[in-house]
Amino acid sequence: MTNRKRKSTAAKQRAKLRQQRRAAAAAQAGQEPGGAPTTTRPPQPVRRPGDRRPRPTKRRRSSRTPWLLIGGVVVVVGVIVAMFLTRSDDTSRGEASEGSIDGLTSVPAQTLEAVGVPEQPSNVNPLPPDAAPVEEGGKPVVLYVGAEYCPFCAVERWPMVVALSRFGTFTGLESTTSAPPPETLPNTPTVTFKDSTYASDHIVLSAVETADRVGNPIEDPTEFQQRLFDTYNVESVTGSSGGIPFVMIGNRYAWAGSQYDPAVLEDKDFDQIANALANPDSEVAREIGGAANYITAMICQLTDGQPEDVCSSDVIQQAQAALPTP
Amino acid sequence: MRVARWVPPVTTALALAGVAVSTYLTIAHYTDPEGELQFCSGTGTVDCGAVTTSAQSTFLGIPVALLGLLWFVGMLTLCLPVAWRADARPVHLARLVGAVGGIGFVLWLLYAELIIIGAICVWCTVAHVIAFALFVVVVLTTPPLLADE
Repeated sequence: MTNRKRKSTAAKQRAKLRQQRRAAAAAQAGQEPGGAPTTTRPPQPVRRPGDRRPRPTKRRRSSRTPWLLIGGVVVVVGVIVAMFLTRSDDTSRGEASEGSIDGLTSVPAQTLEAVGVPEQPSNVNPLPPDAAPVEEGGKPVVLYVGAEYCPFCAVERWPMVVALSRFGTFTGLESTTSAPPPETLPNTPTVTFKDSTYASDHIVLSAVETADRVGNPIEDPTEFQQRLFDTYNVESVTGSSGGIPFVMIGNRYAWAGSQYDPAVLEDKDFDQIANALANPDSEVAREIGGAANYITAMICQLTDGQPEDVCSSDVIQQAQAALPTP
Repeated sequence: MRVARWVPPVTTALALAGVAVSTYLTIAHYTDPEGELQFCSGTGTVDCGAVTTSAQSTFLGIPVALLGLLWFVGMLTLCLPVAWRADARPVHLARLVGAVGGIGFVLWLLYAELIIIGAICVWCTVAHVIAFALFVVVVLTTPPLLADE
């Protein structure tokens, strides 16, 4: 009995030892003691001498992504800076030499006579016959609402200044350019009405530049200017609703936009345009002078043909005949 | 995985500097309509006034300076040492998304300054450089934290 007991105890110990060995072996082979397989290592490829170590592709890609992001940002910054450095924001186009602005305000009558007028005025709209008189201090008003950044305002100021200078005198006109790229027709040379004054025995110029060449507000329209702008710069009158430049010649005519093709000013600087104005054979003189003659003809309707030497000239008479009627 | 020891203090310091600069710009936006900022001349290419009073100085009606301040405050919260130590994946994800989104907005502002306005605001540029530095550190150090979880 005692012998049998001893035998079973020894058998138990041997069984326990076997179990421990199996457990140890299973652990080494990556198995649970119970025999259930756990994570097994994938079979390792057989390496031969000269074989390259396999690349941990996924990990490498993820560690490369941040650098790609950073590189992308640096490239975009570089592109923006390059665009800035190479852009054609040539404000020097708007720099007027001494005497250039004087040339603009005193284009000889013979030159304006020689350039004539286009067959039809472009973009000019008659106001309704019942439009109330637009006057200040008993004089008819020429209204201009625009902005320095606006390229079509830049284009339209040229004939306006030429025409208005035949009825009065500007002081304080300064040259500038319209907005830089990416604005349409960037850096178009022109003058600004801001800080200028205009004196005339015949008319009043009521002009406002609402923003500078980069769009910052600089002047608010007066109540009078705003009322006219809201009343007449509408689809039924100008074909625009709120577009600039908005020009009104008393209670007779109004338009929004420019009267001639802005392309004639492309790639020209202030002095080139001012000089070309004196040459009646130039395209610049024909376009700006032609538009100026129409504006002059419209103003002559307000001033009852005064001053006579201006309003009675052949070209102004011809322009008046071509002006649209309500 | 834990980030290198220098990352939490450096990002916290960058975010704090960003908060300081954008606070100045925000105060200037509300108190100085002319945009005449210190150490920023008013003419030529370097012209804070031209930038801070431009049409691009607001986004959806909100001053860009204020948006910058809010962004830096958010990044400061996400870059505190306790946030770097957090086991919560959303914290690390928010930091990464914030950094990438922030630098995207910085690129737009740089485009607006140089190409649309044609002028540079020194203080805005300081804020942009800080945002870029924060972006670099965050995108290099946050992804491993996300991969770990």
